Amino acid sequence: MTTTFDENPQRDLLRGRIAIVTGAGAGVGRGIAEALAAAGAHVVIAARRLATGVETEQIIRAAGGSALAIETDVADRAAVERLIGHTVAAFGGLDIVIHNASSGRAGKPALLEDIDEAGWYEQSAVGLEASFYLARAAFPYLRDTGRGRFIVLSSSQGLHGGAMNPAYPAVKNGQRGFVKALAREWGPHGIIVNAIAPAALTGPAASYLEKNPQFKAQIHQAFPLQRLGDSRDDIGSAVVVLCSDYWRYSTGLTIPVDGGNYSAL
Amino acid sequence: MTQGSGAAPAENDAALRGKVVLVVLSGLDIGGALVAGLLDQGARVALLTDNRELLAMSTAATLIDTAFDARAQVEAAFELATELLGAPDLVVLSALPAIAAQVKALVELTDEEWLGGARTAIRTTLYCLQAAGAYLKPRGGAVVLVGPSLGLVGCRGLVGLTAALEGQRGLMKSVARQWGQTGVTLNWIACAPRALSSVFAEAPLAVKSDAVPVALGRAIDPAELAPVLGFLASAGGRVFTGATLTLDGGEWMVP
Repeated sequence: MTTTFDENPQRDLLRGRIAIVTGAGAGVGRGIAEALAAAGAHVVIAARRLATGVETEQIIRAAGGSALAIETDVADRAAVERLIGHTVAAFGGLDIVIHNASSGRAGKPALLEDIDEAGWYEQSAVGLEASFYLARAAFPYLRDTGRGRFIVLSSSQGLHGGAMNPAYPAVKNGQRGFVKALAREWGPHGIIVNAIAPAALTGPAASYLEKNPQFKAQIHQAFPLQRLGDSRDDIGSAVVVLCSDYWRYSTGLTIPVDGGNYSAL
Repeated sequence: MTQGSGAAPAENDAALRGKVVLVVLSGLDIGGALVAGLLDQGARVALLTDNRELLAMSTAATLIDTAFDARAQVEAAFELATELLGAPDLVVLSALPAIAAQVKALVELTDEEWLGGARTAIRTTLYCLQAAGAYLKPRGGAVVLVGPSLGLVGCRGLVGLTAALEGQRGLMKSVARQWGQTGVTLNWIACAPRALSSVFAEAPLAVKSDAVPVALGRAIDPAELAPVLGFLASAGGRVFTGATLTLDGGEWMVP
C-alpha cells in the first residue's frame, strides 16, 4: 500500500461509509482505522484512553482522511451505547463495526490454576461482553444501511488453543462462536458477520524482536510468508476488502490473516 | 445397548470397569443416560450437579449437590467426591446454563441473560478444570467436555450459548497444551443437540444442505456417548488431546 490516501488503490472501496473501530488507539486497531479511512470511510476511533485515540485521529486527518476519536470503555454497556449514538449523530448512520479491543491481561502468561475470577471477568468483559453490547446497540443501524458489516478480531489462539494464557483462547474462540451464531441470525437482515484471526507485528512484538533478534528467524519460520503482518497494509487492507462490496457472500467465518501460519481449517 | 444402534465394540465396554468417573453437570440435564451408560460399563460414578431433577433421580451413582458460583465451592465438591470414591480417572464435564438455552434474538437479550449464560458457562468450566487438575495432574487421567454440536456451526437465537460453547472449547485446547506433559488429556465431544437434551427439540438448528444430511441416516442415541468416553479414557484413546470429536452420525464433518 502507498503512503498517501490519493495513491491508495483501495481509496474508493468504502467511500462515504461510516465505521467504528474499537481499540484503535494503537497497534492493529490503529492500522485498521488508517486502512478504512484510506479507503474513504469516516472512521470513529473508540479508545479507552482518549489521548491515544486522538493520536490516531490526527494521523488519519493529516493524511487527508475523516476520523473522530471517542473515549470508550467497551466493557461498559452505557459507554458502548453512547459510542453508537455519538457516531450516528456525527456522521448520520453506521455501516461497519470492527471490534478489535482486547484486555491488557490478554498478552500476559498465566497457568490455568492462577486465573482468578477478576482476571477472567476482565478478559471476558472486553472480548465477549463488549461484542454483545456493540452488536445489540449497532443492530438497527447496520440493518437499515443495507450493507452492514460486523467484524470481530479473533486470534489464531482461538483456533489452535495457545498455551500462554487459557483465558485468552477461551475469549477468542468464544468470539468465533458469537460470530457463527450472529451470522445466522443477522443474515436475513443483510448484515454480514465475520471474524479475522490476524498475526501482526505490533509495538510490543516489534520491541521484543528488536531486543531479541535471535528469535526473529525462528518466529518467521512459522509463517510461510516469512514475516509478521503490518497492521495497516496487511491486516487493515484485508479488513477493507472484507467490508467492501467485493466480499459479500461469506458470513460466519473466521478468516486467518496470518501469512499462512494456521492452515488447518 | 440395542442392536443396530451403532453399538461400540465389546472390548471398549471394559475400559471403565472399576474406574472412578466424576460427571460434572451444571445447568441443563444431559446426564441421566450418560450416568446410566457409565455405570453399565462398570465405572464407579459420582455426579456433581446443581440440577435438581438429576439430584432426585434414582441411581447407583453417588450424587453430590454442587454449587458452581465460586471456585471454593467446586473444589469442595471434588474433594468430597474423591473422599468417597477415590481420585478420578475420568472427569466428564458439561456446563450449559439453562438461561443460555432459551431461544431469543440477540437484540432482545438483557445484560443479565448474557452474563448468566455465556460468561457464567465459561467461568464454571474454568472452575471445574481448576478443581479437576488438583487430582488429575499428579497421576494422569482424562477430561472430556461435552456440548451440543451447534457450537461448531452456530445457531440463530442462541448466540450466547454458541459463544459459551466455543469459549469452553477454546479453554479446553489451551489447557490440553498446558497439561499434556502431566499425562492428562482433554477433549471435546460435540454431540447432536437433540441427543443431549430435549431443550433443543424446538431450537432453530442449522440445516446441512446435502442429499445425505446425516451420513449414518439416523439420530444419535444418548446411550452411545458413554462408550466414546470410555474409549477416550482408555489406553487406546489417550493419544487424543485437544481434539474435537463430532458425535453426530456424520452430519457436519467439520474441516
